[in-house]
Amino acid sequence: MTKTEQGVRGRDGLRTPRPPHDGRGDGHRAHARARRPLAPVLGRFALFALPGLVAYVLFVLIPIGMTAYYSLTNRNPFNPPTRFVGLRNYGELFGDPEFLRALVNTVVITVIVSVLANGGGLLIAMLLDRRGKFYLALRSVFFTPVVLSSVVISVIWQALLTDDGLLNVLLRRLGVENPPGWLSDPSLALYSIAWIITWQMLGFCVVVYLAGLQGVPRELQEAAAIDGAGPLSRFRNVTWPMLAPALTINTVMLLITGFKAYDQVQVLTNGGPGTGTTATMAFQVVQTAFTGNRIGYSSAMAAVMLVLVAGVSVVVLRLLQRREVSQ
Amino acid sequence: MRRSLVFSLVTLLAVTGCGVGAQPSATPAAGGKVELSFLVFETPNLNAAFWDAAIARASAKVPGVTIKKLVTPNVDRTGYAKQLDAAGNLPDILQSVNPAGFAQAGKLAPFTDEELKNFIAPKAGAIDGKVYQLPYNTQVIPVIYYNKDAFAKAGITETPRTYKELLDVSAKLKAAGVTPFVVGGGGADTWADMYPLTGTVATDVYKKTPDWLTRRAAGSVKFTDPDFVKAAQKVADLAKAGYIDPAGLSRSYADTEQAFRDGKGAMYPMGSWFATSADNTKPDFEIGSFPWPSDDGSPVTPTFTGGGTSVSASAPDVELAKKWALAFDEDKENNDAFVKLDGSIPAIKGYTPPADMGPVYQATVDIYQKGMQDNSIVNAFSQETGDGSLPPGLADKAALGVQDLITGKKSATEFAAYLDDQWAKATE
Repeated sequence: MTKTEQGVRGRDGLRTPRPPHDGRGDGHRAHARARRPLAPVLGRFALFALPGLVAYVLFVLIPIGMTAYYSLTNRNPFNPPTRFVGLRNYGELFGDPEFLRALVNTVVITVIVSVLANGGGLLIAMLLDRRGKFYLALRSVFFTPVVLSSVVISVIWQALLTDDGLLNVLLRRLGVENPPGWLSDPSLALYSIAWIITWQMLGFCVVVYLAGLQGVPRELQEAAAIDGAGPLSRFRNVTWPMLAPALTINTVMLLITGFKAYDQVQVLTNGGPGTGTTATMAFQVVQTAFTGNRIGYSSAMAAVMLVLVAGVSVVVLRLLQRREVSQ
Repeated sequence: MRRSLVFSLVTLLAVTGCGVGAQPSATPAAGGKVELSFLVFETPNLNAAFWDAAIARASAKVPGVTIKKLVTPNVDRTGYAKQLDAAGNLPDILQSVNPAGFAQAGKLAPFTDEELKNFIAPKAGAIDGKVYQLPYNTQVIPVIYYNKDAFAKAGITETPRTYKELLDVSAKLKAAGVTPFVVGGGGADTWADMYPLTGTVATDVYKKTPDWLTRRAAGSVKFTDPDFVKAAQKVADLAKAGYIDPAGLSRSYADTEQAFRDGKGAMYPMGSWFATSADNTKPDFEIGSFPWPSDDGSPVTPTFTGGGTSVSASAPDVELAKKWALAFDEDKENNDAFVKLDGSIPAIKGYTPPADMGPVYQATVDIYQKGMQDNSIVNAFSQETGDGSLPPGLADKAALGVQDLITGKKSATEFAAYLDDQWAKATE
């Protein structure tokens, strides 16, 4: 193959055919080649990237910028004019028991969801990691809650967990005289919400772990078995290390889901029973903005929430990725 | 290339609906009509069919208007209106949205005396002398609706006239194995737990000091003062004695109503709007009613007058919007429908309810009329609008606080202190 047939690689990295010799100097041709391909390629790139970029700027970056700006003001639509207050809102936040309570509630939900959905998802994935139509059907069943809206999920669970709901009717039939107030008992309601989110996210974890399990080479399992490793040892030394990427994906997704829990709280408890019992950070942001009318203060909450979610997610992601590499 | 970029940008802006000065409802609709958005809410009593028919009747009287109905995601229409307002989309006409805050910020158009001439209490809910919400109906809040069969089975022959008698009745019901009170407030319907407190505040605070909230705004009284704490203590005591079941706090408003119908409690303190629901869908027992009793048995009738439509000051045609709002609230058929479906007691001159109203509604109206005769009408706590009402958002906070009272998480004094704290935050 000649050099012409092979073509040459331009600055853009794309292979373009060498033009026929036109009698002009090589230096001139090289100069032309270096400049010409760049513009159309960049143009094409911009054409495809622009819609997404504009949408991202309009619906993500500008709102974040506006939130950051509002967080430095006392903006209240019912109490104009809006004044610049510097970092006062942030100072107030960390002495605000309602915000701190919401922060603790959010962390509790996030930890429960991350641990239970990860553990349960792995267990179910291992049980479903078999061939056959029955197991395929079961995978779909477990995944169904993931595709349902959180509001729909909450309404379903409300019908199950209210005092007259299916669960308590069943418990009464079984002789439990005073069944628990799953949503009305302040000491239980938060855990009920955490459970519902766990239930919804379980299917996601199952699918990710299943994909991970199916990527574990059979030869490794067989070699370990020949070396005398039992099922537990094979899981600990072969399967579990190979599932590291699946664990990373699940954990980060669960952390984000837990931190932004809102729909379930709004539908099931409205932050109650009582003051702040189940209020999460996202719920507190909305309540402060639209019930308390304190847009400036709620913007500061939202900004803190953004930093917290991003920070924790990045740290956890790095830690888990480091674990993937070391294994 | 540049042309392609410009094309894609223009297309994107068109698709996302972005444009300079876009005003969603400011454009006259086809045929020279003005389109006005109208925010309504749906409940078990006031369903979609009711609103559609009522809108059609008002529109027939006001040519040149096309109504775009907006429905709130739950009954908290004031909260939803705030969200829409924050996004710059306050609807042109709003049904039963508390005008507090909106009016002071200049977001609502006041009605003139001439426009209010057909209303019995034209200045009800006034803010600095101006009325921003049509005072089209009166509601008694709460009335205690009770299960006559459960009372009879517990050997109760008379309805209680004093608070002590109410406690005696509750004790007998409990001894007979019946939960005395059905109180809800689950899900997004936290507001539904307020009515026992609205009753005790009427008898223990407002009876003595009718302008108590105006004084609270002036700072001359506080929630932690003995009268209000006593009112809160009564609710806490009812729960502590087992007369209010905290498990009921998981029930939504609709589920709470159903729980009373299912006989899961003997007394249901609720707004007078329950009356027609009770008449229209009869449970398998008879329902009676009596007002929340005071300590000495003297009559106290907590009521709210208002609840009609408001008009946004930035509606595309404010005068036309007000004309439509008046047509909506003054229409005889609309009011008949409000009466029949929602137990409304219209406060419009010359209006008489349909003759075929049921016994529970008639008994409820009797309570109101007796209150007028006794001169025992007071405000209904947390329902007030206008001067002397809670600051915007505080009624929601109070409803959450009542859950703490019922579950025992807060004492009456702590609850009162919480309200003072929330008042300070809401008004800062």
